[in-house]
Amino acid sequence: MITQEFLLHYGNIGFIVGTTSLGAGIGAGLASYSAVKAISRAPSSQQDISKALFIGLALIETAAILTLVVALLLLSPQVHVIMEGSIARAGIACALGFTGLLIGILSAFPVQQAVYAIARQPFFSTHILNLMLLTQSIIQTPVIFAFLISLIISFQASSVTNMPNALRLLCSGLCIGLGSLGPSIGLGLFAQQACKGLGFNRLSYNNILPFTFISQAIIETPIIFSLLISLVIISLPLAPTENPATLIALVAAAVCMGFGTLGPGIASGKTAAQACKTIAEHPEHYSLISKASMLGQGLIDSSAGYALLIALLLIIFR
Amino acid sequence: MESFETSSAHYWNPFSYWGIDNPYLLINKELLINTWITMGVLIALVFIVRFFFYRKNSLVRFMLIAFLEAFMDLTQQTLGSFSYYPFSVVVCLFTFILMCNWISLIPYVEEPTKYLNTTLALAIVAFFYKEYITIKNVGIGGYLKEFLQPFFIMLPINIIGHFSKIVSMSFRLFGNIFGGAIITSIYMGALAGSIALETLGLISGLNIVITSFFVIFEGFIQAFVFAMLTLTYLAIAMQTSHEGMVD
Repeated sequence: MITQEFLLHYGNIGFIVGTTSLGAGIGAGLASYSAVKAISRAPSSQQDISKALFIGLALIETAAILTLVVALLLLSPQVHVIMEGSIARAGIACALGFTGLLIGILSAFPVQQAVYAIARQPFFSTHILNLMLLTQSIIQTPVIFAFLISLIISFQASSVTNMPNALRLLCSGLCIGLGSLGPSIGLGLFAQQACKGLGFNRLSYNNILPFTFISQAIIETPIIFSLLISLVIISLPLAPTENPATLIALVAAAVCMGFGTLGPGIASGKTAAQACKTIAEHPEHYSLISKASMLGQGLIDSSAGYALLIALLLIIFR
Repeated sequence: MESFETSSAHYWNPFSYWGIDNPYLLINKELLINTWITMGVLIALVFIVRFFFYRKNSLVRFMLIAFLEAFMDLTQQTLGSFSYYPFSVVVCLFTFILMCNWISLIPYVEEPTKYLNTTLALAIVAFFYKEYITIKNVGIGGYLKEFLQPFFIMLPINIIGHFSKIVSMSFRLFGNIFGGAIITSIYMGALAGSIALETLGLISGLNIVITSFFVIFEGFIQAFVFAMLTLTYLAIAMQTSHEGMVD
């Protein structure tokens, strides 16, 4: 007999595994395509290119593997399926589904540019590989945050018996899921440009490496704001007979934070990517360019700060 | 949040004798002991390095010199000119956070940076050092005037942008280290059931891969990001004093 709660429960599991596998599949395809193209450009550096490709493919699959862990946790026979628990677990689908799909595709971008860069500069492959590994592992940060929130949701969902608490868990998943979309795109664009710039001018390595650390940290600041809101929402104790206005305020806070990070994430990523391109062209002006880029990104991130403020006010005065 | 924290952490109330029962005055015993272990390891490391540093041609001497020179170059590149006090603050923060992230390689010891208290304290230290540098360079009037740039309407916006730095720095470190610690603990918990799985994990090298990625690599990246962000904020604070505006 098919009941709604079972439909929702297994739908959640299918959704997260399906979307993250789709993302990882597209990403692995893009990376392999670029590697084959790079080998056809420089056949003698085939060993270095395939080494970079294998490390890249292993990291592209991080999101899919973490989702597999969550899916196995949800499929375990101890999970008691009721309607409220299934609605709460839809938060996991929001958190890991959206993030995993995007991160799978986006973490292939640095691999693509890195294999082209190795084909261009075969004797510099160690440093290009280092930069690719660094950028790619920082791109995985949203997935780790979403995984964290998903685990907390899956532990709390087993003891949820009323609707307000189920909606609270759904909101927190929605917040981190929507909130990591924009900054993930920004991180991907920046990583692509960083590896491309290194292939363009290998003398800029000593400048691009520290710039990558700072820029990716600043681009992912909006994700950290949405993680904060998610953690605040998830730790609110709600009574079973909660006022519906409170629940609407929570949904509004999640959507506000989620869409508030979309623009700043992409804009900050594009700013940093352009700055990285300029640094690759003129490494001698590193100090000036990086400071200008930092100031611009700081101002862009302050608009994510307003979303954070409004979301916090919505939660406090609910 | 609660399901993770209350189950694993043990709290101690130092004021219970006087009948004060405030949840904000509780002390996390595990965090305290883990921080002491980290500090003990760091102090022991200082004595070992100092012992070998005065011997000619020792490996430790070369490693220490390479480490400090890399950071000196970085400081010079970011600040424009080398300056001793920002350099020492940044190296100190980096070493402490790195040791905090790597301390979980010792069995039964957990990372102090897994708790928000530690990371918040570190972010507050970095933030107020930056404020101190700004006030020292431009004076208290110039510091307050910066909040009114470019128009006075921007005051609330500037204040939010200013203090969100503490939030972003502390939560970045906390989220990454906490996430990594949970992933490693889930992996170890999955293996703990049977001896066959444990030997398989040891022989296939999956243990080493997961530990080296989530503890060593991620811990190094987060420590370096924290130090670099502090250095960049210091660079911006110093630069506003000399030139006024970025051109």
